[in-house]
Amino acid sequence: MSKVMLAEHGGDVAIRVKDLHKSFKLPTERAWGLKQAIFNRLKGIKGYKRQQVLRGIDFEVKKGEFLGIIGRNGSGKSTLLKVLSGIYVPDKGEVDVYGTLIPFIELGVGFNPELTGRENIYLNGALLGFSNKEVDEMYDEIVKFAELEEFMDQKLKNYSSGMQVRLAFSIAIRARGDILVLDEVLAVGDAAFQKKCNDYFEKLRDNKQTIILVTHSMDNVRKFCSRAILIENGKITCEGDPAKVAKAYENLWA
Amino acid sequence: MSNMPQVFNRRNRVLLKELSKTDFKLRYQGSVLGYLWAVLRPMLLFLILYVVFSKILRFGADIPHYPVYLLCGTIFWNFFTECTNMGIQSIVMRGDLIRKLSFPKWIITISTTSTAVINLFINICVLIIFALFNGVTPSWTWLLVPVSIIEIYSLALGIAFLLGSINVKYRDIASIWEVMIQALFYCAPIIYPVSMVANYSVLAARIVLLNPIAQVIQDVRYNLITNTTITTWNYEGSWWSKMVPVVLVVVVFFAGAIYFRKKCKYFAEEV
Repeated sequence: MSKVMLAEHGGDVAIRVKDLHKSFKLPTERAWGLKQAIFNRLKGIKGYKRQQVLRGIDFEVKKGEFLGIIGRNGSGKSTLLKVLSGIYVPDKGEVDVYGTLIPFIELGVGFNPELTGRENIYLNGALLGFSNKEVDEMYDEIVKFAELEEFMDQKLKNYSSGMQVRLAFSIAIRARGDILVLDEVLAVGDAAFQKKCNDYFEKLRDNKQTIILVTHSMDNVRKFCSRAILIENGKITCEGDPAKVAKAYENLWA
Repeated sequence: MSNMPQVFNRRNRVLLKELSKTDFKLRYQGSVLGYLWAVLRPMLLFLILYVVFSKILRFGADIPHYPVYLLCGTIFWNFFTECTNMGIQSIVMRGDLIRKLSFPKWIITISTTSTAVINLFINICVLIIFALFNGVTPSWTWLLVPVSIIEIYSLALGIAFLLGSINVKYRDIASIWEVMIQALFYCAPIIYPVSMVANYSVLAARIVLLNPIAQVIQDVRYNLITNTTITTWNYEGSWWSKMVPVVLVVVVFFAGAIYFRKKCKYFAEEV
């Protein structure tokens, strides 16, 4: 269980992960539904296969650090992020989180196509931990930053995907937490949007915000991160200086 | 984990409110009559039952204010089915949120069922207007109706928690429940008066009244419409059989809540 503790208690540590293991039960041949479950039980088949995703992860994130997590698809990065965010429960090991942690597994979580832009701002805001009053106060700024002033009373389903991302991003950057966890949020949008993302990250880095970023972009790792870890097959295989870790990642293909 | 002061902390309250609002809005999106359906659905069901059972089959001739009596039953039954059907589906329907955010999962079940609670309150207002027009005199026992609402909501929530968590893994549960609820409809004295059962067999009537849904509906009828209503309290023979429905509600609620609490950690990976 990821325990959220008061920020002061950690000293200079924001997150401490000890010997973290996580596996999933993957249903084999259509073990979905009651009929198959009873059938499998009768035949003595387990109906699932255990997939070990994280096999003993240890690391610490210091306050003010910008940590990059890299690795190939399926290496366990996203699972690690979800365990840190308290979405998954670890099988074994410990996760201590000192302070409030805001996860961005995806932009615009809970966005509903049937609601208007305005209604979606309030809903998404609530999911990020803002009260109605707090959203009231920053509403104009959000809309202005997203450049969607004329569309707020339109349903979200009538937005282009670019407009949706802009709206989601404008809300997301308002989030205030001791630790921000970002999964691939840079991977969407056009060049202008990428520029906004870069500016946002630079600002966060300069403000000494604690950040964990999962990314496939080695440029971003070199540019923003103060430290990086490389995950291969559920284990950390390289850790430390971003340039060194990015090199190790690129060497996986060499 | 969640200890008492944290359960209703600010973030959870905001989330609960915002998700309930969204559910309520989405429910009637795109329909011409909109929120009016909240009242129309039980009313139309009532109309059908009234024509078939009161006018054609001549049920309830011995009961004063029988149309109000029937409407009262359909409103509470409608609440129970809406609450359980939506509650059981709630976790699966909100899978997208569960996979991407960490927050107490009970908020989902409560917020989804809150639409049914709002509908119930609207319908009770309609019922009271109906009753007054039908010549029912207001009485202090009307104040006891909220107790019945809490009881039937606890029962529905207990079922939603229990079957909703099983439904994450075995999606058959929602379908099984829809069939079960059809059977339950005929077990409860909604369309037929208990007195009709009692005329055949006192024992059968006593068994019918052990059902918490029957107990709640009869209590509301007793308190709201006419004190000639047969209730669990004035019809069951012994003190322990009088307690059966309430004990059942408590057991179902806690069994559901405890099971849900145990399973909710794994919703994110199983949903």
